Amino acid sequence: MRLAFSIAYRFLKSNKGQTDLILIGIIIGVSVQIFIGSLIDGLQISLVDKTIGNASQITIVPAGKDKYFLEDRALLDTLKTNDNLTAVSESYDNSAFININGDTYPILLRGLEFEDANMIYEFSDKLIEGNIPQLQNETLIGATLATDNNLKIGDEIEILTPEGVNQRLKISGIFDLKVSNLNKTWIVMPIEGARAIFVNDNQLTSIEMQVSDVFKADTIAEEIKNNLNNSSVDVVNWKEENEELLSGLSGQSASSIMIQVFVLLAVLLGISSVLAISVVQKSKQLGILKAMGIKDNQASFIFLFQGLILGTVGAILGSIFGVLLTYIFSIFVKSPDGTSLVPFYLDYKFIGMSALIAIVASMIAALIPARNTSKLNPIEVIKNG
Amino acid sequence: MAKILKLMDINKVYGDKIKTQVLFDINLDFEESTFNSIIGESGSGKSTLMNIMGTLDRATSGDVEINGINISNMNKNELAVLRNEFIGFIFQFHYLLPEFTVMENILIPYRIKNKNITKEAISRAEELMEIVGISKVKNNKATDISGGQQQRTAIARALINEPKIVLGDEPTGNLDSSTTEIVYDLLRDINQRYKTTFIIITHDKRVAEKADRIIEIKDGRIEMDISRKI
Ligand SMILES: Nc1ncnc2c1ncn2[C@@H]1O[C@H](COP(=O)(O)OP(=O)(O)OP(=O)(O)O)[C@@H](O)[C@H]1O
Ligand SMILES: [Mg+2]
Repeated sequence: MRLAFSIAYRFLKSNKGQTDLILIGIIIGVSVQIFIGSLIDGLQISLVDKTIGNASQITIVPAGKDKYFLEDRALLDTLKTNDNLTAVSESYDNSAFININGDTYPILLRGLEFEDANMIYEFSDKLIEGNIPQLQNETLIGATLATDNNLKIGDEIEILTPEGVNQRLKISGIFDLKVSNLNKTWIVMPIEGARAIFVNDNQLTSIEMQVSDVFKADTIAEEIKNNLNNSSVDVVNWKEENEELLSGLSGQSASSIMIQVFVLLAVLLGISSVLAISVVQKSKQLGILKAMGIKDNQASFIFLFQGLILGTVGAILGSIFGVLLTYIFSIFVKSPDGTSLVPFYLDYKFIGMSALIAIVASMIAALIPARNTSKLNPIEVIKNG
Repeated sequence: MAKILKLMDINKVYGDKIKTQVLFDINLDFEESTFNSIIGESGSGKSTLMNIMGTLDRATSGDVEINGINISNMNKNELAVLRNEFIGFIFQFHYLLPEFTVMENILIPYRIKNKNITKEAISRAEELMEIVGISKVKNNKATDISGGQQQRTAIARALINEPKIVLGDEPTGNLDSSTTEIVYDLLRDINQRYKTTFIIITHDKRVAEKADRIIEIKDGRIEMDISRKI
């Protein structure tokens, strides 16, 4: 075995040109595979992040047609200690109207605990002017609503509820959530203030949550639901509400896998054909080794080891190049606003798997040439000089 | 004396459709530690016979006994082990592995047999290199030495596992006459030193006459078989 390995190594070393060529092939293959895989992973992650990064990923909502459910401190505490959750925020929302100079517009009045809600919506970072409300009659409004109606910090707005309540609120800050609909319709204020307007103490319309692994949102939601035993609420997650996005993502993943499979196939055929030629080139050596008593399977191992060595070196160098390529791409390819088009993202498991697959594939590619050595008869070699 | 190699009623027929018989009912046996030569015209069947003796080829009919064991029922792997431990080959061409040094080439049969190279193996290789006179080039690549040195390396390689039998198919066919002389003296010397049995095919009458026994093959049959009284 050790002999087979050292012969394999010497064979590779003696045919430097051939070895380098085949190595370059594997390196290109592996690095393209890792590049494409990481690129698409990065794209998907940034897409998902843009879509749900500042939104509720799991939401506890009232069951059935109810509009509210009773606040449950115990439930809130268990959620806040759940390691899978990175944010838990209670909210009391209601539709209402805003009256500006006699014109009324529909709005969504959102009552939040800003400390918790910041973990999801990052209001503090998204304020373009002013401060987070400190008092119950203070509120944030969106940038679109502010510019459309020429509203400024310190201005008062008038809220009308469907129940006929009329409440004046003072603008303490203006946010820009980068979504024009939210910038136009959200009026965000402290939860106690919102409840007071609707005279609805101890009620909630939702508990919004974010998770550490967004793609596990459905299973985490399921867990929460099972531990809830509260029939007045229901648990929903972003995956059920974004099926189109998800099917888009899985289509992308499928095409990425297709590309990777074909790259791998090309590498495999390359190794196989070069090693097959090598068996013919080395037939003299193999013939004499057989005359000297090397067994057929040992002779086969010479070529399997060549596959292993080529695969391992190629996979390692290919991984390095692939990562480098991904990094360079993320640095130099930028979108117009200066941020990188695709964020630099490495999935070590994916890279490890790609490298491992390349090594295994190289050995599989070596299998046919290795088997061909058994057919080699030492007499043929000795006779033909 | 013990018979180290026995050929019994060996026939060899080449070809499937057009059959050509090249060996006819060959019966031969060789005594241990003798030096034998086989001569004959080109195409008479010498190499065919030697390949059958060396288990590289199988006879169409007949039996081969090596050290008292009939090899007819041995499989490919068993034959490989037998060749490795029992038989040393020297061919007309040296067939050294060009990827390895002289020293490494000599040790290859040893490494086929054993996992690790021991100190004893190295000192044996060095002893053999001393005997065949290639100590100076032991770390050269097999391609970076002269033809005579290559053939001597092949001889040392054939001897590393202390084989009972050395088979040589025109081992000096590629060398000039003075080198041929030296190499044959060397083989004789090894024959006497290690009691190795030699069976050597040669075209050179003068070389053949130095052997203990001369066997002449003609058209696939034994034409002449004379032994010198020792
Ligand atoms: N594979 C083969 N198929 C058919 N005929 C063969 C084959 N190998 C050898 N022969 C024939 O068998 C006969 C004996 O060949 P062999 O090689 O044994 O001769 P030789 O005595 O060694 O000759 P030389 O001195 O030229 O080496 C020749 O007539 C040759 O043509
Ligand atoms: Mg011949």
